[in-house]
Amino acid sequence: MGKTVVIQPVTRIEGHAKITIQLDDAGNVNLARVNVIELRGFERFCMGRPVEDMPRITPRICGVCPWSHHLAAAKACDAVFGVEPPPAGAKLRELCNSIAYMEEHILHFYFLAGADFLLGPDADYSVRNVIGVLAAAPEVARRVVRVRHMCAKMLEILAGKPIHPQAAVPGGFSKPLAKDERDELRKMADEALELAKFSIAFAKENVFPKYLDVVKSLGVITSGFIGTVKDNGALNLYDGKLRLMGSDGSFDDFPYDRYTEYIGEHIEPWSYLKFPYAKKRGGFSLEDDAPGLYRANTLARINVCDFIDTPLAQAELEEFRRNFGRPAQLTLLYHWARLIELLYNAENAIRLLDDPDITSLETRVKVTPRAARGVGCTEAPRGTLIHDYTTDADGMITNMNLIVGTTHNNAPINLSVTQAAKSLIHDGKYDQGVLNTVEMAIRAYDPCLSCATHRLDGKMSVKLDIFDAEGALLDSLAN
Amino acid sequence: MEEDAIPDFCSKPALILGCGNVFFGDDGFGCALAEYLETHFDVPGSVCLLDAGTGVRKLLFTLCLSPVRPRRLLIVDAVDFGREPGEWFEIDPAEIPAVKLDDFSMHQMPTSNLLRELQQQTGVEVRVLACQTGPLPEQVCPGLSEAVRRALPHAAEWVEREYFGVPTLR
Repeated sequence: MGKTVVIQPVTRIEGHAKITIQLDDAGNVNLARVNVIELRGFERFCMGRPVEDMPRITPRICGVCPWSHHLAAAKACDAVFGVEPPPAGAKLRELCNSIAYMEEHILHFYFLAGADFLLGPDADYSVRNVIGVLAAAPEVARRVVRVRHMCAKMLEILAGKPIHPQAAVPGGFSKPLAKDERDELRKMADEALELAKFSIAFAKENVFPKYLDVVKSLGVITSGFIGTVKDNGALNLYDGKLRLMGSDGSFDDFPYDRYTEYIGEHIEPWSYLKFPYAKKRGGFSLEDDAPGLYRANTLARINVCDFIDTPLAQAELEEFRRNFGRPAQLTLLYHWARLIELLYNAENAIRLLDDPDITSLETRVKVTPRAARGVGCTEAPRGTLIHDYTTDADGMITNMNLIVGTTHNNAPINLSVTQAAKSLIHDGKYDQGVLNTVEMAIRAYDPCLSCATHRLDGKMSVKLDIFDAEGALLDSLAN
Repeated sequence: MEEDAIPDFCSKPALILGCGNVFFGDDGFGCALAEYLETHFDVPGSVCLLDAGTGVRKLLFTLCLSPVRPRRLLIVDAVDFGREPGEWFEIDPAEIPAVKLDDFSMHQMPTSNLLRELQQQTGVEVRVLACQTGPLPEQVCPGLSEAVRRALPHAAEWVEREYFGVPTLR
C-alpha cells in the first residue's frame, strides 16, 4: 500500500497550508497536493453594506497585504461611482502602493525566503528563521531593518496609520501631502533606493550563483502569466490593462473590468481555493503547460511587461531576459524578479515624490451613489488582485467577487510542488532537507493563504484526508 | 538610526497591541478591547495603542529587529484554553501552547516564538492578556458573543491600571 507523507504546516509563508504527498508502492511520488484554508463567507458578509465601506473593511481580510486590498477597493468604488481621482489622489495612492511593496519585498527576500538562501535548505529548523538570518549576515540585516523601518514611517506620514489603512477614499485620497512631508519622504526614498540597488547586486553576487542548480531544477513548470501593464506595455503595479500571456509568449490585453471574459474559475473538491484559468486559451487542467494554466506575482509581471519605465530596473530587466529569455519559466526566478520590482518601486517612489502634482491640495472628487458595477484591480505583491462590486441606487452592495493574488497561483503551486517532490523523493527515501526543499517551491510564490482564524494558541481548522494509491481514504485528521 | 525614521510603535515606552480577526466572532476580542480603550479612556502619550488586527506579525517582526523598542509590550488576544467564554486572564508567553514550535509563519498570530525572542533576548517586558472565546464561526461572522463582550470593561480597567498610570477614564 502506498504511503503518505504530510508536511504541515509550511513554515514562513503568510498563512497556512499543508502539503500531502502520496507515494506509490515503490516509494516514489504519485501525486502531491497543497491544501489551503481560505477566508470563507466574506462576500456574503458584504452584501447590503455601503460600497464606500469597502476600502476600510477589505484591508481586514489580510493583515499581510492590507494596502493592496485597500487600493483595489478604492478603485472599484471609483468605478461604481463613475469618477476619476484627481492626479494627486491617484499619485498618492500609487506612492503608498510602491512603499508597501518595498516593505513586503524586502521582508520576503531577506527573511521569508532569505533563510533558505542565506542558511541553506538543509539548515536546522531552529536556526532557519529571522534570528538565523541576523546571525548569518548581521551587516546586511542592519541595513534591511533600517529601510523597513523607514517604509513603515513613510506610510505613517502619508496615511496616518501603520496598519489598516484608510487614506484612500472613493474619488481619491483623503490627506494631501505637505511639502515638508514630501521633503522628509524624499530623503527616505533615496535610502530605500540604495538598499534596493545593494540587494540585487548582493543577490547576483552571493545568492543566485550559489543556488543556480536549484533554481534551474526546483519546482520548474511551464505556464502562461498574468500582470498589469500601461497602454505602452510598461510595467505598472497600480493601474493599467491586464495582459494574459501564453507560455509561447503570445498575449491578450484587456481592460480589467472585462476579466470574466478571459479568466474562468475552476473548483476542485479537495481545495477550498478556486483555480483560475485562461479560458480563451483552453479549459482548466492541472497539468504542466496546460493551455489555460497561468501564473501571477513577480515573475509573471516581469514576463508580461514589454519594458520598465525606470532606468535601473530596466537595465536589470534586460540582463534578466538575456539570461533567462521571455517568458522565463524557472520557478525560483520569482525571487530574482522580486528584486527587480523592489528596484522599480524605489525608483517609482522617487519619481512620484519629485512630481509637482504630489503636493496638490486637490486629492479627491465628490461621489454620489448610483446603481452600477465597478471593478478595481491592482497588482498586489502576490499577484493580480481584482475587486468586483455591484451596487443598487443607494450605493449598497448587491453582488461581489474577489480574486486575490495567490488564487491565480493555486494550480501552479500544486504543479511545482508535485514536480519538486517527484525529483527529490525516490524509493521512499527522504530527510528533513528534502522536505524543506519541497517547501521552497511553495515559498517562491510568496503565497498569502488567507486563513480563517488566528488565535494566540495557534489553533486553526485543518482537516487532512489521506488516500492510498487506489484512492481509498486511509485516514482523516483534524486539529 | 535617526529617531525620526523609527515608527511610533517602536519608539514609545509602552506598546499595546489588540490582536484578532474581527470577521470571526470572539476572535476579534483584542481589536474590540483596543477600540474600547480608545473610546473610553485617555491614552497617555507614553503608550502606543494599536488595533493590530491580523497584521500583528509585521509589527512584532519589526519590533524584534528594531534598535529602539518599547520597554513594555502588552498583547491582547483571544485563546481557547478550555475555560469559560469571557474569562480573561494573563498568561506567560512561555505558557502558550507550542503548536508550532519551529514555526516562523508571520501570519500566525501572534507568533509565540517572536514573543519569546522579545522577552528573552531583547529585555522587553512581554505580557499577554487573553480572553477565552466561545465557539468560533466557520464563516465570516463579525461581533463578539455576549459573554466576551461583557469582559471588555473589566479587561480595559486592568489595562488602564497596569499601563496608563493614574486613572484616566473619560
